[in-house]
Amino acid sequence: MKVTLVSRSGKEIVKGGIELTDSATVADLQREIQKRTKKSPDRQRLTLPVPSGSRERPVVLNSKKSLKEYTDGNSRTLTIIFKDLGPQVSYRTLFFFEYLGPLVLYPVFYYFPVYQFFGYKGERVIRPVQTYAMYYWCFHYAKRIFETFFIHRFSHATSPLSNVFRNCAYYWTFGSYIAYYVNHPLYTPVSDLQMKIGFGFGIVMQISNLYCHIILRNLRKPEGDGGYQIPRGFLFNIVTCANYTTEIYQWLGFNIATQTVAGYIFLLVAAFIMSNWAFAKHRRLKKLFDGKDGRPKYPRRWIILPPFL
Amino acid sequence: MAAFFSLLRRLYLSLYNWTVFFGWSQVLYHVLITLKESGHENVYKAAEKPLLFAQTAAVLEILHGLVGLVRSPVSATLPQIGSRLYLTWGILWSFPETRSHVLVTSLLISWSITEIIRYSFFGFKEAFGFAPSWLLWLRYSTFLLLYPTGISSEVGLIYIALPFIKASEKYCIRMPNKWNFSFDYFYAAIVALGIYVPGSPHMYTYMLAQRKKALSKSKRE
Repeated sequence: MKVTLVSRSGKEIVKGGIELTDSATVADLQREIQKRTKKSPDRQRLTLPVPSGSRERPVVLNSKKSLKEYTDGNSRTLTIIFKDLGPQVSYRTLFFFEYLGPLVLYPVFYYFPVYQFFGYKGERVIRPVQTYAMYYWCFHYAKRIFETFFIHRFSHATSPLSNVFRNCAYYWTFGSYIAYYVNHPLYTPVSDLQMKIGFGFGIVMQISNLYCHIILRNLRKPEGDGGYQIPRGFLFNIVTCANYTTEIYQWLGFNIATQTVAGYIFLLVAAFIMSNWAFAKHRRLKKLFDGKDGRPKYPRRWIILPPFL
Repeated sequence: MAAFFSLLRRLYLSLYNWTVFFGWSQVLYHVLITLKESGHENVYKAAEKPLLFAQTAAVLEILHGLVGLVRSPVSATLPQIGSRLYLTWGILWSFPETRSHVLVTSLLISWSITEIIRYSFFGFKEAFGFAPSWLLWLRYSTFLLLYPTGISSEVGLIYIALPFIKASEKYCIRMPNKWNFSFDYFYAAIVALGIYVPGSPHMYTYMLAQRKKALSKSKRE
């Protein structure tokens, strides 16, 4: 089996191509490419050429499959398009660092006299709601880190390194921004009832969110080869991305209890980002499960926020 | 029906572009006349009315992009219009102490020449279906000088305004309040200055790429 490896512009990546046995798998090819280009398999995006003019998305090679499955009849040669995805980090590493920031930075504003540096001298009175908010917030991000290592089964093993900087900037900046206001010496609490409703609702949503993540985990095999199934059970019966729904509502609970503009801005931005993901996921599931060729048809469901989306 | 709307669109956009073109021409005229007759300290006063009109009208361009009347992406026009509105209303109009500075003159000359070329370019395209090649050349060449002069004037004026911003406490929201929110216009101005650091090379290199694309395309035609 001779593989011709080209870039998207047609340039040959490996001169003369790569020789492999006829029964070689994509993973074997990835190892050979790594030997010749020094790029690890996680960085290699290998696709079949798309006929020019076609608007179809290219077929990405699955590392577990054998190369023969991607040839059509003429099984001795194969042309594959190579794209370098750049340095990668594991998703676990990425998530761990982006969540570590909020987990550590928020208590800094609570426990240490940082407000002196903003010009507020004198004693700071800590209200009960500020204490509960700190526990709620830290529980949330500790839960996220726990889920990262013990619950989630990722569709891809890695993410580009640049995402570490982008994601950490997002989480760490917003975390500090919100922590600054909730722990502020001139913070104005809401009524006791409103606080209890907010935190109570938020906790229920966090637990629901954990349950959603467990359901999603059980859709995938432990070997971690990604793949998509129709989620069923609990809130997934009415909304595709129930995990995002519960996450958004959880933040709503936090904001009802703490009432800061900073917190609400974060809620809006997070909801916007998650809605984009939800739309893409819903569309992907509908396309995958079109009801043809014995595949089940994706049921009619809300995408993320009933009754609007 | 479609042809009717297409004609209506062309009519509206021609009217819009030539009207705003006229506004910016007035700005340039008043700046130059006042410079000659009295001095740079009075330039703002003379140009204020057409400036506020022409620059604020640009908000419509965001709308045009959103409803699909024009092809330009909202993401490109928003930062440009944002900085213009910030300087016009947030600095010059809000802090009269800045108006007599000589940088106002360099600012308004840079802005008005750029806009006169840009709006006439689009005005030609919408009204006549084409724009003269010399106008295309001007549109993609004058920025080479006017971006640096304009950006330096913007940064300079924001810097000049800082002590007045701090002293006036204008547009500031202080704690405590029931929404637990604060806003300090002075620190926001510092952040704005910071944005210019990566923002300016980004805009300039973007225009250089646009220039290459536009001028090579016209050569081939």
